[in-house]
Amino acid sequence: MESAQGRIKSSKRRTIVRSVLGLGLALACVSAVKREDFKTCSQSGFCARNRAYADIAKETPQWVSPFQLNPSSLRLHKGVLTGDLINVQEDKQPSDKPALAFELHLLDTDAARVRINERNPIHPRYDGVQDTVLIKPYGHATEESYQKLGKDENGILTIQYGAQSQNTVRISSAPFKIEFLVNGVPTVILNDEGLLRFERLRNKEEPKVEEEEGEKQGEEASSDPLVEQKPGGNEIEIAIEKSDLEKKLEENLWEERFKEFTDSKPRGPESFGMDITFSGINHVYGIPEHASSLSLKATRGPDAPYTEPYRLYNLDVFEYEGDNPMALYGSVPFMLGHSKNSTAAVFWMNAAETWIDVEKSPEDKTGGLLSWIKSKKAVQPAATKTHWISEAGVLDLFVFLGPTHRDIFRQYASLVGTTALPQAFSIAYHQCRWNYNNQQDVAEVDAGFDEHDIPYDVLWLDIEHTNGKRYFTWDEAKFPNPTEMQESLSAKGRKMVTIIDPHIKKDGDYHVSKEGAELDVYIKNKDGSSDFDGWCWPGSSQWIDFYNPKARDWWASQFSYDKYIGSTKSLFTWNDMNEPSVFSGPEITIPKDVIHYGNVEHRNVHNLYGTMFHSATAQGLTHRNETNQRPFVLSRAFFAGTQRFGAIWTGDNVASWEHLELASPMLLTIGLSGIPFSGADVGGFFGNPDAELLTRWYQAGIYYPFFRAHAHLDSKRREPWLFGEPYTTQIREAIRTRYTLLPFWYTLFQEASVEGTPIIRPMFTVFPEDEAVFGMDDQYMVGDAILVKPVVKSAVIRSNVYFAGKEKWFDIKDYSVEQGPGFKDIESPADKIPVYQRAGTIVPKRERPRRSSKAMENDPFTLVIALDSVGEASGRLYLDDGESFNYEKGDFILTEFKVSKGVLSSRKVKSTTATSVESSFAEKAGGLRIERLVILGATVPLKKVTVGDRTLQASCSQVGGSYVCTIKEPQVTIGKDFDLSFA
Amino acid sequence: MKTHSVCLPILATLALSAAVTRANVNINNAARGVSPSNAKLYVPDSVNNWSCLDGSKTIPFSAVNDDYCDCIDGSDEPGTSACGTGQFYCANIGHTPSNIKTSRVNDGVCDEECCDGSDEYDGQTHCPNVCEEVGAKAREENDRIQSIQNEGARLRRGFIKHGKANKVSLTNELETLRDQVDQVQLALNDARAKLDAANEEQGAYLEGSKSEREATRRQQLEPLIQEQTKRLKYAIEVRDMLKITLQNLKEKHNKNFHDMAVKGTVSGFDDYIVAQGEKTEVVEDDLASLASDRQFDALVDETSVVLRDIGTLHDLLDGMKRDYNTEYNDEAVLAAVKVTDDFEITWDSSKLDFADVEHLVLPEELPVDSPEAEKFRDATDLAQAAFNEASDKENKIQEGIRDIERKLNMDFGPDETFSQLVDKCFDFKDTEYTYSVCLFGDANQSSHSSTHLGKFSGWEGDNYDVQMYTGGTKCWNGPERSVKLVMSCGTTTEIVSVTEPEKCEYLFKLQTPAVCPIPEGEGEADEQEQDQERQQDQQQEEEGEEHTRKHDEL
Repeated sequence: MESAQGRIKSSKRRTIVRSVLGLGLALACVSAVKREDFKTCSQSGFCARNRAYADIAKETPQWVSPFQLNPSSLRLHKGVLTGDLINVQEDKQPSDKPALAFELHLLDTDAARVRINERNPIHPRYDGVQDTVLIKPYGHATEESYQKLGKDENGILTIQYGAQSQNTVRISSAPFKIEFLVNGVPTVILNDEGLLRFERLRNKEEPKVEEEEGEKQGEEASSDPLVEQKPGGNEIEIAIEKSDLEKKLEENLWEERFKEFTDSKPRGPESFGMDITFSGINHVYGIPEHASSLSLKATRGPDAPYTEPYRLYNLDVFEYEGDNPMALYGSVPFMLGHSKNSTAAVFWMNAAETWIDVEKSPEDKTGGLLSWIKSKKAVQPAATKTHWISEAGVLDLFVFLGPTHRDIFRQYASLVGTTALPQAFSIAYHQCRWNYNNQQDVAEVDAGFDEHDIPYDVLWLDIEHTNGKRYFTWDEAKFPNPTEMQESLSAKGRKMVTIIDPHIKKDGDYHVSKEGAELDVYIKNKDGSSDFDGWCWPGSSQWIDFYNPKARDWWASQFSYDKYIGSTKSLFTWNDMNEPSVFSGPEITIPKDVIHYGNVEHRNVHNLYGTMFHSATAQGLTHRNETNQRPFVLSRAFFAGTQRFGAIWTGDNVASWEHLELASPMLLTIGLSGIPFSGADVGGFFGNPDAELLTRWYQAGIYYPFFRAHAHLDSKRREPWLFGEPYTTQIREAIRTRYTLLPFWYTLFQEASVEGTPIIRPMFTVFPEDEAVFGMDDQYMVGDAILVKPVVKSAVIRSNVYFAGKEKWFDIKDYSVEQGPGFKDIESPADKIPVYQRAGTIVPKRERPRRSSKAMENDPFTLVIALDSVGEASGRLYLDDGESFNYEKGDFILTEFKVSKGVLSSRKVKSTTATSVESSFAEKAGGLRIERLVILGATVPLKKVTVGDRTLQASCSQVGGSYVCTIKEPQVTIGKDFDLSFA
Repeated sequence: MKTHSVCLPILATLALSAAVTRANVNINNAARGVSPSNAKLYVPDSVNNWSCLDGSKTIPFSAVNDDYCDCIDGSDEPGTSACGTGQFYCANIGHTPSNIKTSRVNDGVCDEECCDGSDEYDGQTHCPNVCEEVGAKAREENDRIQSIQNEGARLRRGFIKHGKANKVSLTNELETLRDQVDQVQLALNDARAKLDAANEEQGAYLEGSKSEREATRRQQLEPLIQEQTKRLKYAIEVRDMLKITLQNLKEKHNKNFHDMAVKGTVSGFDDYIVAQGEKTEVVEDDLASLASDRQFDALVDETSVVLRDIGTLHDLLDGMKRDYNTEYNDEAVLAAVKVTDDFEITWDSSKLDFADVEHLVLPEELPVDSPEAEKFRDATDLAQAAFNEASDKENKIQEGIRDIERKLNMDFGPDETFSQLVDKCFDFKDTEYTYSVCLFGDANQSSHSSTHLGKFSGWEGDNYDVQMYTGGTKCWNGPERSVKLVMSCGTTTEIVSVTEPEKCEYLFKLQTPAVCPIPEGEGEADEQEQDQERQQDQQQEEEGEEHTRKHDEL
């Protein structure tokens, strides 16, 4: 304890050097013009304070965290270790009550949870995020499943846990540090850098001068032997002078200004921060949403590409820029680290504004500073050090140690939930524009698709369809008969989506506004009693407080057919502007000091607001008139758990090649953070794509889990046929390809809904041992079977594709073969981008062109079987009615296909719940036949194909070094097991 | 499970599902979806095989319509969706037969084009045969359209006749006018020579007293020049004040409010600045060196330029002042509105309100009074009058020629149909605006003020039924407005709808006899028989024309 204090003091001697550094840092933060509406870390009081603390720590040799666990307070009971956490700088007197409570929970899923909270705060810190984010109370590890290995000579407590006892957690008391080890290898380390900092709630009346004096007295009274031993002990005098950095620790504690806005912060400072080290790991991923690369870039340290930390604060950013860590519409404080040897992840469960610094350990090859570090620490393994800073709430962290990605996704999903199985139509193609002007326009666009023989499933209406931006209403001059309009779409198996935003026009004659006022469900001003109003599309508006249970239920009830006049069963919903976007607010959002239900200040829950809205809307669609139909709701804002309510998209992108390129890393990042149902607006929202960009965007967009074209009000029309040939044919071909692969996509969605897996996957999750792919985000996998490399530059007709692994890859169009591993230049002419099926996989398809996914319901299947080098392959097909919840009662078909030793076997996976639904879908669809088998990678032409006592013909042709064989009508169905042998 | 047992249960299941149709298809179903005219293509060869229509492959005849796509061209599956690329023939007895895409066969949708429901035969979706009903309606509709087309064709023949006749008469007229050109030009040249001579003589006489006259003249004009200089300076000050106001507005307004009125003004200001960059400001010192008359004229010109600028800038501000969203309380906008208010008050009350105060007019130079001078002056006046008269005559003829040439150069279609419609104007009112177009002229949109949507720029395509009007007023952040005018057959000429499919690009739908199809074979041959009828039409058309001529007054 004492030595730690001494080291702090020594840090204070470095005043002069640091103030210069500090200035340099400030200069580096100067914003570009476009960014001026949004805060930098230095403009956000708590971020600046915590970052300054990190600066102090980093510039102080032998820095030691002032936090210590009281060893005698530690108790381990039923999987939970508790103890007192003391800040030796603040809790000076032995009589001081231990300020912080520490908890470590071992979970039955092998995950661990670390919580730090104030023990006796002057008012409770907000701890409600778990109530809305965690799906259910989780189970703790049973006492048999972990083992306390006792304390070693340094007072380090070691506990072994996990199903295979593969995990170890080592808890050091002084200084406080927690190491998580997998099979004995340190993987995730908390407070390794000693950046833990915890601002305790306080009363403003406390005169600041006195506080400083107290501190000074404390220091003077100290009889720290270390300080005494320092040469030139009179430096204590200098220490009293606070450095610029130390002054920063006390800036903007209370009222804080940004541009013309004031944040009243009545509770004062309550932020906290902590460092999390991914040991032995060079690449970390996650923490969406940022317009940046998949592998996160360093924000600190020499040569760091970014000077600002990654920020998580849901914001409506007009024409966002690529390659920077600014906050965007959604936030998921989930980070995954990966190396050849280990994979681990953390979930920082906090919905307040959060900033994350990333620092990479210097690589081995450099000299200078590195050699100094080496001499100091002897061995410097690769590591990524992250520093997490949140404005309010409690420190609540989950640590997932895998050991594989799939384990991590499952562990994380078991807490925050998996992707809801979507309506089948919603993974087909969506046509949107701000705006389709009237019913005639809708009819003409709909007819255009039929005329040009391009399939589509959903037509969208943006804000202009309403009566003056009053949601749940129609502009009656333009849409005199919305029901008829939806029915005519529905007759062709198509749906409609209308936009419903969370801002409610202040208008006593508008039923929603009026009812909301009567029920008293609007967000309140900081006084806690008057309704907040601000500006959005309809002008003066109010925002529904979705933290109020009454508000949620009332909101959900708005979607019943008799409330939402002109809505039908085939109408679904789009939730936009739910960050929330407030035109007149600070950073275009709602002030942090407004009040939610239960006297909760908005700053605690900001990043969750959009999700609360999203979930209430999904609830509304689910329960409208008891139709047993799954909801479909698209949201712009998101948080951990959003996947349970619907899809999201990457907001208002731009019709530029840069934004097309950005879409892949953004969607991969969002997907691995638990929200796989996401997409980017095809074509780009702002501006006008030329024919080439639009076509390339469709070719890429068909491999987004959520596939929608959208365009701004001021942009030119760009329905798929408007650019003429050859573009219409190229776009038609792309969209049809999406439709042929819908059975494969739907199966992936089902897997995601059970396992929590991403749907489009970064290369490193499929090839976790190939270091060449760890930073790769310009190509990716759909499931584990299909490799996609979008073309994201103009006039590019050759693409450099990386074929990972030692197996073959088959072009999905002409079945030409490539052999991994390595890069190869591949033709990517205007009508195709490189897309390959990986050897060893079976992909189910429906190849008949149809006008909508609904129209494909009774179509037979094709299986594309890509044999690996030992002649094996596997795949699966999931099918249900695509719209109801009957699958929960077991009414689905899940068939596993496997090829081994020249036999294709099909086995229906029994559902765990018995079917109790009348006119069972599974029974009917079980008769759907497989009309065609395409076998790729056969070393010799197939001669004899038999199913039971029937002999079938295979027609084979040589492509590259192997054969492509097609078997017509094997007369098998997806509902009955079969074995088909070929030789 | 043993593999051989698979077959039967499957067939049993098939009976329950879509796949059942497959089993049935082979039985005499080769002809399904094949039109009678194509039936001869779907017969087996001598060994009961069949070749894909593109000749690419030979398959057993039993593979035709077996619900599996064998042929690359899709020709083996005219009756199923297996290939999805061919045509499925619906007999539609009671209505007219049609071909639908085979991708629509058994897709669960009762296609309107296939009223007999024969496209949905798999038992999943029942599509009733509604051909009788649909057919009856269609026949009724057909009759209606036919009668419109007949009447339209009759009217169009009138248009054509009128157009052709008009072309002939214009050509004749042009010839007559051209014949006169030489003559009037000779007369004009003669008059010009005489005028030049008179001027020269007078000039020579006056040259002698030039500097004295300039001195006298300057004395006479000096107060006016000073007054005008003052006015110009004041105007420049006011204009610069408005520019600064707009510049501030542009830089400081809150872009997140998306206030269209503010955006419009800022974008208008940007356009102004761009246009301004091309002009050069007149420097006062340069003016001082000019002769007093020219100096005064230059000052007046420059003042009017600045006044126009003030007008433009004020319009921008005033436009915003009227429409901006008062509830945003955007400080930059409020400041600009305040300046606009102040400007309007001071500008109105100012003595220098150029709009109300009379323009300074250059007084006549005092005549030089001597009999000799008078003689020269009279001679010049006379020569001037003669020249003016000759010039007027020449202009009129040239103008007549140009007008005829314009009309002759216009593309009224191969048969001159549209000659009848040139410069005819039509209105269309919707809830917000009145749209108008004068064919081959301009299109406009008006409510309280008028916006130019474009000027006729040509036909689109080769069918003479789509016109483009381009180069209209620029949208604040979009393109120049334009109109696509699409014509359809009708017995009257009128606009039937106006829409704005994308911002500032309008679609006018116009019905007119001018595009009604004239049945083949009815052309020149029966012109005689219908001559009388046409004369009547001609009369009607002329009445119609009068009606449209009155358009401006309406």
